[in-house]
Formats: sequence, C-alpha cells, structure tokens
Amino acid sequence: MKNERHFQQQVSEMRFVSVSLSPIIAIFLIFAIVPIVWGLVLMFYNYSPLDAHSPFIGFGNFKRMLHDDLFLKSFGNTFKFVLMAIPGNLVLTLALAIGINRVRSRFWRNTFRTLFFLPTIAPLSGSAVVWTVMLRQNDGLFNLILDRLGMPEVNWLSDPQMAMISIVMMTLWADIGYNIVIFMAGLDSIPQMFYEAAELDGAGRWQLFRHITMPLLSRTSVFVVIMTCISYFQMFPQFQIMTNGGPSNGTRVLALDIFDNAFSYMNMGYASSIAFVLLLIILAITLVQIRLGRSQWEY
Amino acid sequence: MRKKQWDIPYIVLICVLSAASLIMFVPYLWMLLLSFKSNVEILRDSTSLLPKKPTLQGYHTVVSDAPFMRWFFNSLLTSAIVTAGTLFSSSLAGYIFAKFTFRGKKILFVVILATLMVPFQVVMIPTYLIISKLHLINNLSAIVVPYLVSSFGIYLCKQFVEGIPRDLIEACRIDGAREFRIYLSVIIPQITPAMSALGIFTFMSAWNNYLWPLIVLNEEQKMTVPLALVFFNSHHSVNYNVVMSAAVLIMIPVLIIFLIFQRQFIKGLTMTGIK
Repeated sequence: MKNERHFQQQVSEMRFVSVSLSPIIAIFLIFAIVPIVWGLVLMFYNYSPLDAHSPFIGFGNFKRMLHDDLFLKSFGNTFKFVLMAIPGNLVLTLALAIGINRVRSRFWRNTFRTLFFLPTIAPLSGSAVVWTVMLRQNDGLFNLILDRLGMPEVNWLSDPQMAMISIVMMTLWADIGYNIVIFMAGLDSIPQMFYEAAELDGAGRWQLFRHITMPLLSRTSVFVVIMTCISYFQMFPQFQIMTNGGPSNGTRVLALDIFDNAFSYMNMGYASSIAFVLLLIILAITLVQIRLGRSQWEY
Repeated sequence: MRKKQWDIPYIVLICVLSAASLIMFVPYLWMLLLSFKSNVEILRDSTSLLPKKPTLQGYHTVVSDAPFMRWFFNSLLTSAIVTAGTLFSSSLAGYIFAKFTFRGKKILFVVILATLMVPFQVVMIPTYLIISKLHLINNLSAIVVPYLVSSFGIYLCKQFVEGIPRDLIEACRIDGAREFRIYLSVIIPQITPAMSALGIFTFMSAWNNYLWPLIVLNEEQKMTVPLALVFFNSHHSVNYNVVMSAAVLIMIPVLIIFLIFQRQFIKGLTMTGIK
C-alpha cells in the first residue's frame, strides 16, 4: 500500500517535471544553445545571407582580422573606453556612496540615491540622443556654457580625441547610479562597531577609510569592477547613436564593428569571429573574478 | 548613530551632494526646455536658456507625424508578455531544479549557468538567422519569443526555492495537492521578493532594449519606443524640439514607473546584483 502510493507519487512527479520543463528547455535550446553553437561554427565560414555559397575557410576570418585596420582600431578603442570609464566610474561611485551614506536623515539619503539612480532607468538610446543634442557644436548646452565662461568651444563629438571622452562622460552619467546602490549596500553591511572601536583608538577619517572601509569593501569592489567591465566591453547604443564610430573611427568599438559587419555589410561569418574575440575577453574577466572571489575573506 | 551637530564638513558634504545631483539632472532639464521651444526660437536665439514663448509644437509634431501611440503600445505589449513569460518560466524551472531529481539535472543546470557568460554579440547573428527562418522578421513576436526564458531568472528562482523547507511541500502532497497546485499556491507566494525584483528588471530591460529590436524590426508600424527616438533623431535632425519632445514622452513613463516601484527596485538590485 505504502509502496504503491510512493510509486504513484513518483509517476506524478515525473510527469510534472517533463510536462512543465520541456517547453522551457525547448525555448532555451532554440534561442540560447543553438545560437551559441551556430555562432561558434559560423566563425569558420565566409558566410553571408546574400550569397548562395558560404565556403568553409577555417581560420581565414581570424587571419583577416589581423590585417583589418578597422578591427584593430575597434579592439584598441574598446580597451581605451573601458580603461577610461572604469576608474572614473569606480572613484565617482565609491565617493558618492560614502558621501550619501554619511547623510544623517534617512529621507535625504534615499532622495540622493534616487537622483543619482534615475539615469540608469531611462532608455540608453534616449539618453544618447539627449546627450548628442547637448554636445552639439554651435547650440549645444556644453558649448553655450563654455561660451558664457569666455572659453573657446570644444568639438565634443567631431574631434577624434574628444569624441571618446564625450561618450565616457555620457556613459558615466547614465550608469553610476547602479554601482552607487551596490556600494551603499556594501557600506551598510560593515558592522558599525568596527568604526566605533577604531575611533576609540583615535583613528582619523582617512585611517578609518584606509583600514576599515577599503579592506571590508573589497569583495563589493571586485564585484562592481567585474560586472561593470563586462557590461562596458559590450556597450553599444551610445556608440552607434552619438558618433556611429566616427570621427575617423575614433569611437568605433568591437560591439559596433560586429553589428556593422553582420547587418550593414552582411559578413556574418566574419562578424561571428569578432564576436568570439569579445567572448574570449569576457571569459578572461570572469576567470579573474572566480580567482579573486576565492581568495577574498569574509567577516 | 550618534546625533551630531551641523558641523562645517557636514554642510560641505550636503552642498557637494546637492550640486552633484543637480548636475545629474541637467540633461533632463535641457531636454524639457528644448521640448517647449519653437523651432524658430531654437535656431534664432540659440544662446538663451529658457523658452521665451513656450509652445507644444514639438509634442504636436511627435504625435501627428508618426505612429507614436502605436510604438508605445508595441513596447507596452511586448514588455508585458516578456515579463509574464519570464516570471512563469523562471519560477517553474527554478522550482523543478531546486526540489526535484531527474536524469541530467546537474549538467542541464550548469549549461544554463554557462550561457550567462556569453555576450549577446555572439548569439545575435544566429538568433537573427533563426528568427528569419521562422519568418518572424518585422513581427513583434521576434522580440518576445527569445526572451521568454531567462537563464538568470531560473538561477535566481532556484536559489530562493531552495530556502523553502521540503516538509512544507511534502505536507501538501500528503494533503493530496497536485504538483502544479503546489507550485501555484505554495512556491509562488514564498518567493515573491525574488519574483518582484525579477519582474521589474525584466520589464525595464525589455522596454529599454535597443540592439535586438534594431536588428529584427524595420517596418515603421512595428517599431518600439527606443527605436522611435532614433527615428525622430534621424528624420527631424534639425527640429530639436521634436526630438526632445519625443525624448520626454519616452522617458517620463519609465521614470514614473521607477518612482512608484523604487523600493522594490533598489531592494531587488542589492539582493540580486542584476545589471
């Protein structure tokens, strides 16, 4: 009797699992697994949806990459962008998070956090368009302000040197709210007694930061840096909308190079091999995270 | 915390934070100001900040010149379906991965987690090819179907379901509840914090998604809100008031939704670390 009941139970469990999981796994297979495998296969072909034939070319796409100035430039620009934006993001968000956490009224703490977080919510494409208008040469807000201050105007988006800086500024504006929230949560989780004990020992503000906040916030910092790195390496809308890679390819990044190769020039095989390079970069960052995550201490 | 008096460093801190948050607000203000100017005024008095004769001309052009309401509806409908689908599939799969045993479960779950590391650029080309093989290009379901299942959602729900005691589920079974019934009336209520966080994030990222709709939707009637703004920017590139009015119409609803659900949003963010 008990065994039979147990058996029935197992049958109904199995039925439940197979009936409800199959459609989910099916969609997962079609739109996650198949594309990954297909993408990895595609990079060995000279595939274009416009051509009837798509010859297998082995590592041909990768050889082509090494001589493709546009790819090399995009590769360099991507790192340039990340190396400029990450330190800026980290310093700004940590400083603001510490600052906001010091605000004594709970209401104002939440209000400040919300104000910095709002741009994170807005569609990135919309923010990019608004910034493009603000950065216009003759009638944009930035140059109007410089003009009133009696300073020469800057070619924010048309000067190859400035364009990258402009996009970094826009990205920082659009993105710091997220890390501020994470850092504030990290700061909240540091036990208050550590600070009280250190203050009793006569530690100053800088010493408190250096010897308590910094080490105890290192886990959060690693998380923030890694997640932000991964998302910055894939940034797309602002590059496409604000400059579309220009001027003279000064802001052409890998994500844009992949998009253009795939959907403007229809070189999908080649685009897949560039996407693979991006995958390798992201895997490398993830491995770093796993290594660092293991060696961090808990408190 | 100890109560302190208003000392000088504290006043400086408040001033710095206020100034910084004001700077954060400048792009929104600039957008609003331009949206209320007439085009003539923008071109003639480009140096004045405030609109001299506020006008709704820009907003009028946005609504009359393009199927704006249609785009808004497209975004709303697709984002709502994606959110509902993701919540359903994630919680159901999360429950199964957390509380049932079957062959291949471990491998399947590791595979699901592994896909999280793959950048969208790798899958977007093959997914485009699959969507076009299914004849879904320029069809709104192209931006729905691939997003109905979320690896992250499954992972998140599994974590939360694991915290539910097995005895609770067993007790329901002894009472004669069917498996799906247990999922609906026991599991779902227990994981609502995770579900609301996942729901808000899914909705926001579906609403704001730019790259994928850009790839699969070209027809004007089928576009979504993020594409609409870029449409105005390229069609009315001289009429800033039109572009900025469109920007206002697109950003305000999202910001209002955020202000309403703010608490769940921030809580969800710190709880899950979704970006």
